[in-house]
Amino acid sequence: MIRTENLCKRYSRVEAVSDLNLDVRAGTVFGFVGENGAGKTTTMSILATLTQPTSGRAYVGGAEVTADAAAVRRQIGYMPDVFGVYDDLTVAEYLEFYGTAYGVTTPVIEARRAELLDMVRLTDKADAYVNTLSRGMQQRLGVARCLMHDPQVLILDEPASGLDPRSRIDMREIVKGLRERGKTVLISSHILPELADMCDEIGIIAHGKLVACAAVEVVAARANGQRQLAFDLLSGGQALAHAFRHERGVTDVLTCNETSVEILYSGSEEDQVALVRGVTLAGYPLKAVREVGASLEDLFLRLTEEPVLPSGA
Amino acid sequence: MHNVLRGWVLHNPLLHKELRQRMRSGRTVLGLSMYLLIIGAVAFVFMYLNVQGQTLLLQPARTAELFTFLSYLQLALISFVTPGVAAGVISGERERQTLSVLLTTPLLPASVIFTKWVTSISFLSLLMIMTLPLYSIVFLFGGVAPSQVLAVFILQLITLGAIAGASIFWSTFIQRTGWSTVLSYATVGGIFLGAGVAGYLFDSLSTHMPDQGLWSMLSGICYTINPIYMQAALESSRGFFTPTFHNSLVESVFQTVKTHNLTSSGSWMFFMSVYVGGCLVLLGLCSWHLRPGTFAAAVRRFGRWLVR
Repeated sequence: MIRTENLCKRYSRVEAVSDLNLDVRAGTVFGFVGENGAGKTTTMSILATLTQPTSGRAYVGGAEVTADAAAVRRQIGYMPDVFGVYDDLTVAEYLEFYGTAYGVTTPVIEARRAELLDMVRLTDKADAYVNTLSRGMQQRLGVARCLMHDPQVLILDEPASGLDPRSRIDMREIVKGLRERGKTVLISSHILPELADMCDEIGIIAHGKLVACAAVEVVAARANGQRQLAFDLLSGGQALAHAFRHERGVTDVLTCNETSVEILYSGSEEDQVALVRGVTLAGYPLKAVREVGASLEDLFLRLTEEPVLPSGA
Repeated sequence: MHNVLRGWVLHNPLLHKELRQRMRSGRTVLGLSMYLLIIGAVAFVFMYLNVQGQTLLLQPARTAELFTFLSYLQLALISFVTPGVAAGVISGERERQTLSVLLTTPLLPASVIFTKWVTSISFLSLLMIMTLPLYSIVFLFGGVAPSQVLAVFILQLITLGAIAGASIFWSTFIQRTGWSTVLSYATVGGIFLGAGVAGYLFDSLSTHMPDQGLWSMLSGICYTINPIYMQAALESSRGFFTPTFHNSLVESVFQTVKTHNLTSSGSWMFFMSVYVGGCLVLLGLCSWHLRPGTFAAAVRRFGRWLVR
């Protein structure tokens, strides 16, 4: 649904986006992660037809963003990282304006407005002036605004930034709701655990290049090159942790107590099978072994600190 | 044509929104009241000083003076108000962070610019229309024809349209409203003061320099693009009246109108070309700048259409 081919954007000497290759499948929520200035907003701005790429191509729903920008605009709902609202307009009028701007007919606008206000829990604010709403409410209204013309693709640039915890949870639930509606969502955020919770796939961008891109779990595993294993026991956790410190392939013992040990393991899957068998044969009362997802936050920090890897990883 | 009218005026969502926003605001009511109060108070003081107890005396010349005074006051006020209204229409959207969202809608940049221009001049036109009852005072004593009032109104409408166009131009090309407002006022200063002073200098040169024709032509151009002189031309044309101001500056303006024959149709054609044409060019540049790729896409579409 969203595709970029060697996308580049250069501002005089600064290369904001460099040979970016992205492929977001229809109906998925794609998280775009990167530090400030990594190129997220520029990429989103290109996809929203607001910025012209220096080279390369970008497609939304098959339409190229520079050659067929009008077709792209009809297919997307764009919410920038920072956006304002119009004074002296009520919530209902605000949504009506954007609906009519997209050529939606009045009966459809009325029905959709009621539905979307219900979705973002602003029905009771329909007659309130937009500029009197709280930041969180305005962000939710922004999502409703994006959906007034029922686009297939939503481009949400840090929709939860600056929100209080309650509003962030609300926003997360809204994004999950969008996935249930079958929308393709490209969302950027710095709040990585939230992305892991609501995204199907993530792409990590650093210095304008995509350094990792896959399903959340796969990216974590691939980038780490090691797995986080949790051993649940009836007893003897401390002894097992001590034994693990001398085991080949065990990088680190993360936590340990009498009934649970968590380790970082870099061995192959065959070695892992042998490790588990060894624990059982050594007589430890093992209840279960679980593979725990690696922390996305750790992964992000590691990938963005290190020299850039080849794109399309 | 019908589709253009329907799409850009009747069913233009941005136009509806802008008018709704502007006319609903308390600031608008306050602005309209203040404008009317100022122009009304000044007109009353002018009448009081001129009439001074001779209200029953029929004085068409005095009425002409009142009309001239009122129309120049109106010209000064709209020239002062227009940059304030129009210089922030695009930069303000940019500063409020609403422009990027607006540009991701299917609204054409030309439609956005046109709408902003229309809403700016509609407010300013409303200011002018509100002063019509004041102008009706001049009809009480005769000396001024309704057609003359209408002609002055049209001239002022064209002037404010061009100033609004220039202000929107600065607002589009300059990121900050503060700077675009300064540049808009500088443009107004250039049109009114700059062109007047330049015209006077060229006039002086034409009397002292050998190439008189060139300097005289340049001074004529400067006076023609100056609404002060063109309004004087309008008021002294058709022989309706000759103001009897005992003021050297006013006299010199009306004298310049005669010397350079600013009442000629050629002068009017030039004035109209500069103001209407210039405004269209500036608004076109704004449309191109608002979404740079649009122009290239339009050319490509036109090319494809030609090939077909």
